[in-house]
Amino acid sequence: MSQKMTPTAVVLGSVTILAAVVFVVVFWPYQQADYTPSEIFRYRTEAEAAGRKIYIANGCVYCHSQSIRAIDWGHGATRIAQAGDYVQDRPILLGSQRTGVDLSQEGGEHPDDWHIAHFINPRYTRPNSIMPPFEYLGMEKIELLTAYVQSLGMKAADKRMARQRFWKEESIRAYEAGIDENVRWLAEIVPQGWRDIPNPYAASEYSLARGRMIYQAFCIGCHGPVGDGMGDAQPWIYPPPLNFTILKGREISGGIIYYQLMNGITGTAMPYFKKDLESEKLWDVGNYIAAYFINEVDSNGPPRGIDAAYEP
Amino acid sequence: MAATADTIFDQHLTARAFSLTSAFWFAFATSIGMVAAGYLIAPDFMANIPYLQFGRIRPIHVNLVLFGFVTPGLLAAAHYYVPRLLRTDLFSQKLGLMSVILWNVAVVSAVVSLSTGHSQGREYAELIWPVDMLVIVSFALVVLNLLMTVRRRKEPVLYVSIWYACAAVILTALTFSLGNVIWRPDTGALLGIPDAILLWFYGHNVFGLLLTPLTLGLAYYVIPIVTRNPLYSHTLSLIGFWSLLVVYTHIGTHHLLQVPVPTWLKVVATVDSVAMVIPVMVFLINIWYTAKGKLGEIHADIAGKFIFTGTIFYFFVSIQGSIMALPQVQRITHFNNWVIAHSHLGVLGFAGLSALGGLYYILPKITGKPLYSRFLADLQYWLVLIGIVGFTVVLTIAGLVQGNSWFAGETLYRTLPEIHSYYVVRLSIGLFIALAAYIGLYNVIRTIYFNPGEEA
Repeated sequence: MSQKMTPTAVVLGSVTILAAVVFVVVFWPYQQADYTPSEIFRYRTEAEAAGRKIYIANGCVYCHSQSIRAIDWGHGATRIAQAGDYVQDRPILLGSQRTGVDLSQEGGEHPDDWHIAHFINPRYTRPNSIMPPFEYLGMEKIELLTAYVQSLGMKAADKRMARQRFWKEESIRAYEAGIDENVRWLAEIVPQGWRDIPNPYAASEYSLARGRMIYQAFCIGCHGPVGDGMGDAQPWIYPPPLNFTILKGREISGGIIYYQLMNGITGTAMPYFKKDLESEKLWDVGNYIAAYFINEVDSNGPPRGIDAAYEP
Repeated sequence: MAATADTIFDQHLTARAFSLTSAFWFAFATSIGMVAAGYLIAPDFMANIPYLQFGRIRPIHVNLVLFGFVTPGLLAAAHYYVPRLLRTDLFSQKLGLMSVILWNVAVVSAVVSLSTGHSQGREYAELIWPVDMLVIVSFALVVLNLLMTVRRRKEPVLYVSIWYACAAVILTALTFSLGNVIWRPDTGALLGIPDAILLWFYGHNVFGLLLTPLTLGLAYYVIPIVTRNPLYSHTLSLIGFWSLLVVYTHIGTHHLLQVPVPTWLKVVATVDSVAMVIPVMVFLINIWYTAKGKLGEIHADIAGKFIFTGTIFYFFVSIQGSIMALPQVQRITHFNNWVIAHSHLGVLGFAGLSALGGLYYILPKITGKPLYSRFLADLQYWLVLIGIVGFTVVLTIAGLVQGNSWFAGETLYRTLPEIHSYYVVRLSIGLFIALAAYIGLYNVIRTIYFNPGEEA
């Protein structure tokens, strides 16, 4: 054994190494940090800042990242996170797991009532979610948390929120004008081309079976197991989820259903599903809703083009 | 004869108290882990109990495993082998006992504060300022006790285990203070991106400067004794020690390769994560060559068995760590259960198994009686071994499913049903580990307090 490893050598040597390392990989980046705000940056309001504290206290950061990665580009991401997005964050909440979705651009994806139903119990709006319920926070804190989540994305979120608020008013006006007016409005917000086409897939046994699976994984929380709009989320949502059973004889084509599933109805709790589900799956849900709840199926009817190879 | 046992008891008060601390929090922490794993299968299970909500108990699980189970277990052994290697007594058993008591106060405060929603929100540095202070004072007492013991040594030469034990507690006291930003009691955080850089510098060094050096120090002590072989190479132990301090400490940014931190820092972190092969293999070559031809002796000795297995996990987790730092690999492995598998492999497979080995090594020495039950210790060994291997396999698969689905453009919501069955298997395998922790707690308590065995 060498006599050179004296207590002084061990203690001073290791502390010196640590100091050098801290200088290079911690202090230097800190000294050189660029605090220029990014193009979407804005400061949080008081309510949003209070919501962020609730987010921290309840450990939301362990399941949700707040950073869209460069490698997500080309895999569905719409904007890559920049250092200038985080210049008011103390602590920064980048997250280390995606047990749940990334939230950095969550603001304005849904209206407030969707979030409130979702915090009461996430399964109310997303049946396959594994997020714990946050009903225990009480309405006051849930509203603050909602304000925070709606601010994620900052200026970009504000733009989406303005859109949500505009269409929220429109949808409430239509709903409160009665069933006839509401159904007319729901059909008229769909472009004419879509309204004219029937569901191009036959309402076969397997199409309906798949439609049923998807309905249970995505729709049942709001529209309920029998499609009457009385799902668990219903008490929290306004305008309330649509009751499909009133639609018979109202010229609801497969194309209208498909378009609404694909694009959602901004302002209402109805989200868009075009990122979650590919085309054929959406048509299958449409067939399921038409066959089981509306009891009026236009699938595979005219006008139709060339038969697909596998179709019956 | 009774007087002899009493003397031994008093001589090893601190080591005994740290042993009980470790065994108790191992059982507690795995129980919390089981609850957390339950939520991932059935999120409405125990719904709306704020204190047991997933986001609150996940950091409790992590902090308890690190600072309740593994660190005290390794410190128990250090409080035994440091004085022994220096041919002296521990500087002060009273000071030692105070450090253990304060340590437990800090751990209990961590549990209470996190479960009541008092968190600073920074992974591995969640604890609020008053709890940070308790942790720092506990560490300071341990540092004082060990350094004073070194000062009063009768053996002029410091064996490699002493270097590791001293460096671990001193450097962790420093990085803990720095990483928790203790000069800002209200938030405990820096602003923006530098906060993430500091956080992962610190988080990474919980393993690099605390668990790893304490575990290596223990292995350097136990493996030569159990195999009755001299240490293979003094030169390698020197290279291993200094290269560990240089390399391990500055690569924490490999946790941040996918966020906007300076590119040069990512390059340094990636390149030197690969360079971790040097300290790791230098240690392993040294220890494995020391054990060469003596695997029978290791198998026969319960402590040797635990610790030698720990060194094998050290190999796997370190090589995996180097590979995971490559950006191409992280495209798939980051943000998902692959990382959870990796962290369990390191903390339980490497440091945890070794800490348990340390307990079984010192318990007969500090009580003057044989271990209460070798059978239970063996049973624990196999339960933890099966548990950690199964855990790693199933979570790695789940992580690959998640990572590849996302990479193929699938939304996260669609991948939840895909990994549900793996979560079920994970909980089932977790039962092995929790059961092992309770068996160990029983064995430790029986050995210390109700041991019918003959005094040695």
